[in-house]
Amino acid sequence: MKTANCVRAAVLAASLCVSAPAIAQEKTGNKEGFSLKPGTVRIVLMRPVVDVGEQSTGGMFEPNADWTTQARGYLATALGQAQSKLGNVVVEYSDQSTGDGPLVTQYSHLFNSVADSVIEYQFFPGNRLPTKKRGKSFEWGMGDGLSRLTSLKGADYALFISTHDEYGSTGRKVLQIVGMLGGVGVTSGVHQGYAGLVDLKTGELVWLNADRQMGGDVRTLEGAQKRVTQLLEGFPGRPVEVAAAGN
Amino acid sequence: MLRVTISIIALLAACSTPVLANSLIGPGPRAGIAKSRISASPAGEWNKLSLSGGKNVEVWTLDGDSLNKVTFFGGIAAGQPLLRERDKKNSPLPKVASNMLVTDIPTLLETTYRSQYAVNQMAIDTQAPAQLGGHAGIRFTYNFTKSDDVRRKGEAFGAMVNGQLYLVAYEAPQIYFFDKDIEKFRTLATSIKL
Repeated sequence: MKTANCVRAAVLAASLCVSAPAIAQEKTGNKEGFSLKPGTVRIVLMRPVVDVGEQSTGGMFEPNADWTTQARGYLATALGQAQSKLGNVVVEYSDQSTGDGPLVTQYSHLFNSVADSVIEYQFFPGNRLPTKKRGKSFEWGMGDGLSRLTSLKGADYALFISTHDEYGSTGRKVLQIVGMLGGVGVTSGVHQGYAGLVDLKTGELVWLNADRQMGGDVRTLEGAQKRVTQLLEGFPGRPVEVAAAGN
Repeated sequence: MLRVTISIIALLAACSTPVLANSLIGPGPRAGIAKSRISASPAGEWNKLSLSGGKNVEVWTLDGDSLNKVTFFGGIAAGQPLLRERDKKNSPLPKVASNMLVTDIPTLLETTYRSQYAVNQMAIDTQAPAQLGGHAGIRFTYNFTKSDDVRRKGEAFGAMVNGQLYLVAYEAPQIYFFDKDIEKFRTLATSIKL
């Protein structure tokens, strides 16, 4: 009886909480006027940033090294299969003994922050920064420092990829059910994926596809292939017939 | 069981995100920053974020708080932490003391960040006497890395006025962003009046 009362109280209290309204959110963006013709440029696929783990009841991320290793392997395979279908020459990044590696890794992490900012302050209309609201502006970048890296010489664009997956723990799933009963939206699991194309001459982010709830279980090859298909949806310069066949 | 119930309610409340709009800060004089006696005269436009992290805290940015962030701490009183405490029991934040010296301010910020943001690495790089709004204070620089693995640099001006802490800090990724906007911050910090 006591337990039942507590559950009732929790549900009632939960129903009083105000959940965030579902607001349509953009998932892709590109610099105004940017387009890419097939067979005209050389793109370097940067080392993907991959993190996989569990989401605790309180929503904290708990990394899982085994899952991350699995996902890295499967995503690399899936990206290898996809890169020949992108309409332009896409080569995997190689340090070429230049010593650029640590700095390039920093750029990959910075890309994540830039993509986070685009989602938070541009794709989410209710939270858009007033200075970013004007016209159809999509003005994001990482500076022209990449153009000075020896290991990227001869390339026109860098394709950054990052995925971050948190699989809901049992406790989180229980919380989701309790929330559902009380009319409060509690998400269980985070499955975010970002893919962005950066102009190596200017450092401008010219195309971004970013979603915080992507599909595909990256711990399996099939799931990783699905994730990569979603990440590269609408990739610039991709021939239409190939894009259709790849979906 | 009551504890479980309270925990569930707290978690559910935390899961519902309020939607508030950010606002434009135009060039020119602006008073009452961080609900305090801080006034400043920005030379250009900034965005004021709707969420700040504390009662007397205000955050301005150009491209988002993870890319460039100016935080105003407006007269944090003795006994209060710099930021709203997320977990008082497990991660308590250090408090301002009325007899604090300006040289204690960098350590207060560092300890706060280590507790609140679980920074992987943080170091104070330089410290020097400086003025903040006409009061004797300190200018210090620092660097830190949070869980997103982005190395960030920071520069701040702080002072103790009537036993309260006034601090304005600029933080941005070491690559590109810090240098891009540091002069705008310095101009802004110089214009501050208390």
